[in-house]
Amino acid sequence: MFSDDGFLSEKFSNQSPSQTHIFTSFPNSAVDPDDDDLSTDNKPANNLSYEYNPSNSQPSSLPLPATANTSKDEQFHIWQLEYYQTYFQIDTQQVIERLLASMTPRPNKSYFDSTIRQNPDLYGPFWVCITFIITVAVSGNILTYFYVPDADFQIDFSKITLSAIFICFYWWLMPTCIYFFFRWHLKRIEYTFVELLCVYGYSLTIFIPISILWMISISWLQWLLTILGSVISGSVLIVTFWPTINSDRQRFNALSMLLMLFLHLAMAISIMLVFFHVSDKNIPTRNPTTLLTTVIPSVKNQI
Amino acid sequence: MDTDQAPFLTTSTQGIDMIEGDITLPSNRTNSNELSTLDEPVLDTIKRDLGAVFRKFGYAVIPRHSSTLLQQWDLWGPLILVTTLAILLQSNATKSSAGAQFAEVFTLMLIGSIAVTVNSQLLGGKISFFQSVCVLGYCLLPLLLSAFVNNILLYIPTKSTISILHIIRFLVVMAAYAWTMYASVQFLGQTQQPNRRMLVLYPIFLFYFLIAWLIILHAHPK
Repeated sequence: MFSDDGFLSEKFSNQSPSQTHIFTSFPNSAVDPDDDDLSTDNKPANNLSYEYNPSNSQPSSLPLPATANTSKDEQFHIWQLEYYQTYFQIDTQQVIERLLASMTPRPNKSYFDSTIRQNPDLYGPFWVCITFIITVAVSGNILTYFYVPDADFQIDFSKITLSAIFICFYWWLMPTCIYFFFRWHLKRIEYTFVELLCVYGYSLTIFIPISILWMISISWLQWLLTILGSVISGSVLIVTFWPTINSDRQRFNALSMLLMLFLHLAMAISIMLVFFHVSDKNIPTRNPTTLLTTVIPSVKNQI
Repeated sequence: MDTDQAPFLTTSTQGIDMIEGDITLPSNRTNSNELSTLDEPVLDTIKRDLGAVFRKFGYAVIPRHSSTLLQQWDLWGPLILVTTLAILLQSNATKSSAGAQFAEVFTLMLIGSIAVTVNSQLLGGKISFFQSVCVLGYCLLPLLLSAFVNNILLYIPTKSTISILHIIRFLVVMAAYAWTMYASVQFLGQTQQPNRRMLVLYPIFLFYFLIAWLIILHAHPK
């Protein structure tokens, strides 16, 4: 690829007689004040073509000189912070817009296409998940605080870790499954993994106010909130994915949509049952002791 | 060879001069005087550092615009504050769980600071990691004061689940939380461009909210 002096490359594929000479690679010290002359009509002596293109990003070429503008195409690595900065190019207004759109399902318009497609971000999904974890853990603890006498109450940190593991697991697992499902079963790569993460993260938004309302310890209200929340966010997911799934006329269209909705509902129900459900079994200390004290005298009387 | 090197050398020495000029700090002390702080008595060093720490506490309590907190960051203040807070928040301590509870507050503080700083850097803010930890730690002072007040108020006995005392405690901690948020907004809000400011401030809000929640739900060991 390189000639003897080490900084020229040859490209025979797109040679044409009218093609001006463009440089593909040159060393750092090649700060040439009269670049303009070279670009037009010098015929190369040995049939190489030079390609001068500021946004050239061939990985095998030498780095461009310091005078070229390298705004977009530095190859960042996964351990550098700048690699992830591309996923955080977002303003407050856009985040609020996406949050609201993920809570309101509109039958014909997928908010994904209009908002997220051009600019998937990781800020929204990540902080929605963290907020959800925090509200679940805090509300769960407050709920037990009202049922346990003051002296015995201890903040249950295991709730935070449990809810964190569960919710993060869900947030990552579902996009992974959907990504592989699209890629291998449907053989369409229409969504990148980051876009799927984005959609799933934003779909958890509606559960944040619901998890605060879950503190109200009326059983039918908790169930109602669960079903309502998962139906709303599930329908947003369905509206987003339906065009892709429906386009191939496979057998499993409706089935896979229903499965996604079912898993969403299952996630909501399990969180509600583990952290919030107030049934007679869950209320600690007071009721069982009174039951015991009334049982024992009656047993004594019988003996 | 020499004629080749002579212009080369002159340009490079000019370059070295420029670099020297850029990296010396704009302080009154020259290089030779900096060594003298090694020779000064220990009491002087301690007094100077303690003075810096207390001055930063002052900035945290009464937030006014100054670049001291950000530029001359130190981690002594955060360490003192977090340790005191962790001691105050111990409750129902059995021998085995006391260490775990202490570590929980520390872990929360550490992970929270890391998350807030990384978030701010990813959104394009011009703040380094330790500067951010420093500001977050120093701004914790009002919440620490409210934890003191909380502990004192818990000594007053109360019978019902929700009494006037609970409400007073809640209000005190909420007031301290608002104060803390105001102080950290003053310092950290300026490091970000305006259309992303809320995005940076929201994790700080969550972080202090968690700490305030820990303080509110703290109960005395009986």
